[in-house]
Amino acid sequence: MKIEILFPEFCNLFGDMSNMWYLRKCLPEAEFVETPFEAEPAFASEDVGLIYLGPMTERTQERVIEKLRPLSDRIYELIEKGACFLFTGNALEILGESIENEDGSKISGLGIFDLRAKRDMMHRHNSTFLGRFDGEEVMGFKSQFTMAYTAPGYYPFLQVTKGTGLNKKLKTEGIRYKNFVGTYLLGPILILNPCLTKRLLSDLGVPNTRLAFDSEINAAYRKRLKDFHAKT
Amino acid sequence: MRRSLRFYFALFFAKGTAMVLKLIGRKGTSMPGSWAIILCPDFLGRMPRPKTVVGITGTNGKTTVANMVEDVLEDCGYDFVCNRSGTNVNTGVASALIANSTFFGKPKKDLAIFELDERSSPKILPYLKPDLLLCTNIFRDSYKRNAHMEFILDVLERYIPDRTRLILNADDLLCSSLKPQNRRVFFGIDRMPEDGEECQNIVQDIRVCPQCGARLEWEFVRYHHIGKAHCPCCEFQSPEADYRVTSTHPEQGKMTVKYGGEERDYPMPNSSTINVYNSLSAVAFLSEFGLSPDQIAASMEKLSISESRYKEEEAGGKKVVLHLAKGQNPIACSRAFENIRNYPGRKAVILFLDDYFDAAHSVENTSWYYDTDFEFLNDAGIPQIVAAGARHWDVCVRLLMAGIPESKIAHVEENEKAASLLNPAQVDSVFILYDVYTIGLANRVKEQVKAVLKDSGGENGKEDGGQNED
Repeated sequence: MKIEILFPEFCNLFGDMSNMWYLRKCLPEAEFVETPFEAEPAFASEDVGLIYLGPMTERTQERVIEKLRPLSDRIYELIEKGACFLFTGNALEILGESIENEDGSKISGLGIFDLRAKRDMMHRHNSTFLGRFDGEEVMGFKSQFTMAYTAPGYYPFLQVTKGTGLNKKLKTEGIRYKNFVGTYLLGPILILNPCLTKRLLSDLGVPNTRLAFDSEINAAYRKRLKDFHAKT
Repeated sequence: MRRSLRFYFALFFAKGTAMVLKLIGRKGTSMPGSWAIILCPDFLGRMPRPKTVVGITGTNGKTTVANMVEDVLEDCGYDFVCNRSGTNVNTGVASALIANSTFFGKPKKDLAIFELDERSSPKILPYLKPDLLLCTNIFRDSYKRNAHMEFILDVLERYIPDRTRLILNADDLLCSSLKPQNRRVFFGIDRMPEDGEECQNIVQDIRVCPQCGARLEWEFVRYHHIGKAHCPCCEFQSPEADYRVTSTHPEQGKMTVKYGGEERDYPMPNSSTINVYNSLSAVAFLSEFGLSPDQIAASMEKLSISESRYKEEEAGGKKVVLHLAKGQNPIACSRAFENIRNYPGRKAVILFLDDYFDAAHSVENTSWYYDTDFEFLNDAGIPQIVAAGARHWDVCVRLLMAGIPESKIAHVEENEKAASLLNPAQVDSVFILYDVYTIGLANRVKEQVKAVLKDSGGENGKEDGGQNED
């Protein structure tokens, strides 16, 4: 199985690269390909099991959009074919319709999802988040300059139990369409939520894989949820 | 800006607040400034400015450097206002200016030295217009406040006044790129024996040329993006340092600095690399301020690193070391972990990494653990690591992810139990890492550790250091 990490030299903010370190420990036999910005992504010419893109700075977002724009049809094709994608933090915005600056100017995204993001650079949104995915509790953290807006009928990833969805009024978070997952939750979401990792491994065709540090990450998950319910 | 009625109302209210706080025995170092800014949002712009204003900013080291600069200037007989006992945001600066002003706000002193929070630049720099500004470095810091380095760099670029003279870190390609049109000097450390060609850290925030996008070639990497690099495709490169440490002599507590073609020795209170940078940047700052090398060297002899940041004590023939590791700051913690690894002998480490406020009222975003080089703790010289606090399981997972054997890890929720998990016979020293807000806890645990070390004299060690509690 091949797992492609896009542009790890830039798209690595907020400890998100740890999701891939963790997958390496869960899948020691898998081949991990780190594609630098100047190289052609592997998915352009071959099928890969998982494509990962992490959060990045605002200027990098614009460069990544232009880099991937010639490959937007291929990305759409892979999503429709059921390839796994995991986009965390503001990486999701790359595939949206647009990113709007405070002055009203817009950066066109790849237009694969009907998602519009609005930046507010002097008011960073920080929050803890609790949601549900397939009946399991998912906890995470948000730290972002944007809120995202989408049309009715989109495909949400998580139902919000407590916290902020794609925007302050929406009770759903992220996008899940076929095996594509994009979420504003940042950091080590696969380490924080063993249920998500199990689901991802199942989507990758290895459902019975034992999680690395299984007992410890489950103990940490339970403790975090307990604290969340007790303190927030 | 003209002084308005609103300004005077804010000034008098703030002075009244300060007086009441003094009468009831409270320090209130930022409250008067907070009220002044609430009542008059552009208060800092309307407050008369001392004749000379100098500032120290940057992600890491600014408090240490500001303290050094203030101590030297005080020793040299300068009278100044500063925010040392207050906060480094706009309200702390306003409080310091108010406290040192006459009834109508005229400054009592002609010189102001401020440590300035880089994230607060938009609320301070356009008003204060520093004559001289030192930027120690630009790194990732709290995700909540500082987002990422590009954001902080943009904020500084936009709000540092064009006429402010800058002192910048030549070895930091982010910091050294600030305000290229401003008058500036650079400081840096020549290649050291331990510097390499490849980055050993998780985080390296500049890898390609900001002008043409080509991958940078590094002459040496010290840590993270600190080092010397050039672009193979265009003229972009690290600037030459005006103030250069050419060699260090830790055994004598000295560093040799070359400036203007001449070399001379200056004291350095601590020989860790970050503290060499701190001492060097203080020398550059004081020299640019106008002090002679003799004045600087003589006054620096009397300096020590604040005991609230680093302190060594002995108990039972072993060392107990209190080491600040600023919470939610992956670079500061990585530096602390590397210092521990490089410290001689066998070490136990107690980690108090929880954010004090989040631990009490929320669940901390622990993503920063994964930008932090816990891998430095995976070392044969560190046989035991104790993690304590609300997020002890998360720290345990991070330590396991760093490849540290389970048998070396102990963890517990109750902070005060940390000392009881030590196996003192295994080690020569015990490091206690703490955040700015948990120094009280660290001091209490230090006393417990000292008691454990005293009680353990001559005891044989167990091979297995790991224990934990739910």
